[in-house]
Amino acid sequence: MMNEQSVRLDRMRFTKNTTSSRLAILAIVFDVLYFVSLYKINVDYYYTLIMGASILYNLVFMLAAFLSSEGVKNYKQSYSWVLCVLGIIQIARIFILPVPAHATTLTVGGAELLAMSDGQFVRVIVYLAGSAACLFAAAAVNLVKSRALKAHIASLEGQQA
Amino acid sequence: MAELSLHHIDKIYDNNVQAVYDFNIDIRDGELIVLVGPSGCGKSTTLRMVAGLEDISNGQLLLDGRDITRVPAKDRDMAMVFQNYALYGHMTIYENMAFSLVLRKEDPNVIHKKVLAAAEILGLTSQLNKKPAQLSGGQRQRVAMGRSIVRNPKVFLFDEPLSNLDAKLRGATRREILLLHKRLNATMMYVTHDQTEALTLADRIVCMSMGHVQQIGTPLELYDSPNNTFVAGFIGLPPMNFFDVVFENGALRGKGFEVSLSDAEKAALADYNRKEIILGVRPEDIAEGGDLPVKVFSNENLGMNTLVHGRMGDGLRVSAKLRGWSDYKAGDVVSLGFTRKHFFDKETTNAIRKGDR
Repeated sequence: MMNEQSVRLDRMRFTKNTTSSRLAILAIVFDVLYFVSLYKINVDYYYTLIMGASILYNLVFMLAAFLSSEGVKNYKQSYSWVLCVLGIIQIARIFILPVPAHATTLTVGGAELLAMSDGQFVRVIVYLAGSAACLFAAAAVNLVKSRALKAHIASLEGQQA
Repeated sequence: MAELSLHHIDKIYDNNVQAVYDFNIDIRDGELIVLVGPSGCGKSTTLRMVAGLEDISNGQLLLDGRDITRVPAKDRDMAMVFQNYALYGHMTIYENMAFSLVLRKEDPNVIHKKVLAAAEILGLTSQLNKKPAQLSGGQRQRVAMGRSIVRNPKVFLFDEPLSNLDAKLRGATRREILLLHKRLNATMMYVTHDQTEALTLADRIVCMSMGHVQQIGTPLELYDSPNNTFVAGFIGLPPMNFFDVVFENGALRGKGFEVSLSDAEKAALADYNRKEIILGVRPEDIAEGGDLPVKVFSNENLGMNTLVHGRMGDGLRVSAKLRGWSDYKAGDVVSLGFTRKHFFDKETTNAIRKGDR
């Protein structure tokens, strides 16, 4: 007779890891919000090579995060590490564009302006940090669940043997 | 489980077409009732009325004595298994079976236990992570049944659940349903047009035609003592042979043939002297060695039996299921005899039984 804890573990054999999967999707949503917010940046600063790289990376990020969300849905441990890497890159992105832009002053029509205003800076930091947090949380939840499931399946196989 | 009563149930559609006339039955707890009849006879309509998917025009439906005639389908505590399985293709078997309980917001651990128990009963434990498309027709139908079992309903309703399966799978799934019924001891209503399913599964059969109940009885009663020519012709394969005959001088005279009767048969027909009646003879009640010459036009060997089709008298067509292997050629004349006979009133088509009149 299974106790409640065993039943909870056993359920994972047939149910998806929707928590991790949804967190990964939420990370994509935060990333999209970040990307959309970025367009309010002063265009003179943004129209550099970094723009193309930023667009390309966003595409890669969304694809990788989506595939990982499907992976963690099925308790695949390796995708946790992919999510961790994507989370670290999201943190790094704060220092690649928003921080330098916030520190840069441009002269537009004789007036001195910040390339990225204070309000916008806070917003994009929140979006990128939120995205990273979701990715780390998704990875952590998946690691814990997949390890528990692996151990449970091993014990079931042991019982059958 | 449950007792189900249908009292004077009618179904009249908005265009005044009546599909079911005065349907009456009391279904006992744990009984498996099979509704059988040709297409359009009203059997599925009756089942859908019981399920709450069709309104009941007149009459009363009682479940354990409680009137549920106007109760919505979702509150009737009945589960229905459809011909086309009605599974969600994007869900796994586990999710399909758990779905109704999830909608009811039951505890996930309880749902898990119920789904595993149902899967165990149906032999689906190893299939739970698969999608319906990865299963065979028989397995899909078992999933549909599993989805009903987890709900632990008072009554199970089956609407031609085996019609989409091939002959071999149909036989196997039929046996599974029978075992399931024995195991769950549940009250079940089962609709089919296949008399083999009806005869093998039913505790009692309801034979329907044109919206009317023709006979309610055990499979043996319907086979052995059909109420009328419809039931006699519908139950049994190949169908019963019918001949127009006149009862005269203790014998039956047909077109170009005469059949002698036993004393008991003569007594049963005492009120029909010199009257035209219908003689019914099942193909399996015809044997070689009688005094009726039959000119064979077709011979089908079935292994244990041989189905012989021929003409007797003035060209009357007759089918006989003879024991063993026979190799009659078209044109051969074989002498056959009737070992058992059924008599029907020519006007009413009802069975003539001793003391009926």
